[in-house]
Amino acid sequence: MNKSLREKLESTFKDIQVAVLEENRIAVTAENHGVLAILRFLKDAGFDHLALLSAVDWIEDNCFEVCFILTCYMQNDDEVTGRQRLHIILKTKIPREKPQFKTVIGIFPNAEPYEREIYELFGIHFEGHPRLTPLLLERNYEIPPFRKDFDTRKYVEDVFDKIPFVEGKDK
Amino acid sequence: MDRNQITKWFKAPAKMANKYSLHVIYFCTGCGIIEVPPVITARWDAERFGIIPVATPRQANLFLITGYVSVKTLRPIIRTYEQMYEPKYTIGFGSCPVNGGMYWDSYNTIKHLDKYIPIDGWIAGCMPRPEAIFIAVTHLWTLIDKEMANGYIKYRENYKSYRRNQEMALGELEWPPLFPVSDEPRGNEQ
Repeated sequence: MNKSLREKLESTFKDIQVAVLEENRIAVTAENHGVLAILRFLKDAGFDHLALLSAVDWIEDNCFEVCFILTCYMQNDDEVTGRQRLHIILKTKIPREKPQFKTVIGIFPNAEPYEREIYELFGIHFEGHPRLTPLLLERNYEIPPFRKDFDTRKYVEDVFDKIPFVEGKDK
Repeated sequence: MDRNQITKWFKAPAKMANKYSLHVIYFCTGCGIIEVPPVITARWDAERFGIIPVATPRQANLFLITGYVSVKTLRPIIRTYEQMYEPKYTIGFGSCPVNGGMYWDSYNTIKHLDKYIPIDGWIAGCMPRPEAIFIAVTHLWTLIDKEMANGYIKYRENYKSYRRNQEMALGELEWPPLFPVSDEPRGNEQ
């Protein structure tokens, strides 16, 4: 399964690198325009569960990395097949100046809250998402707070430390 | 019952009754709430001290805030506190409400909770042991005896400052002020 899936991926798609990190962990690096097709291919191949959709800010390389972790409950279950469950990590890079990506809700509907979270914390816009409204944060931040150039210490000094203690009596 | 306390009971029965039947509303923010189930169940049976958890803030007179307070949870904390009837006491449980704890440079954590609501006592530690709750409660008894647990009076008197701090942290508040905030005498208000 492990090897044949790798061969299938490499023969079907160009411009992807497939690496076996360890047993049952496969990392696929792809260009960002081909990600939706790879996701659809993997879903047809049995990986029907999107376990995580996350992002990483690589500020030195001036890009964001969007990261999908796919797995499957039924086909690779330990008790059914005797094999450990296979995880696929699909990574793609998008430029930092234009943080845009296509939504994957059409393929995995459970990506909706993940995409809202990434939009809020990293500022990556997902085209075609039905409601990119605030999910976790209460305040408005100039720079989304999970980006590496967001200075949390300065922010705390500017906002929370400026609020005075209540001492004495009101006049 | 301690016989030495009989005079106290005759002097101020309402205060004594209040003191020995603290009804607690737990605000389950963060990790501190994991210490509360053993406290209220058989292992450290909190009812020995007259502490009993209640369902709504309107029945409670002790407010226990367990764990870090983010900007979003500050709003329900203030609303819960304002719904409680006086006399009401507040205890901050764990390091995080005291000064931010390990989240001291977080973008979204309120560092000093006593800037927004008055706190009568702190339990420091990360995590405090369940016994710390009882130590805090016995200290609170002493404070109530000496009439030093007056956070709710402070809140009433300094409401303008507290409301200003709350608005600085949360922006516009969607509920009306609990006490009058304008300088005008009451009759002149619209």
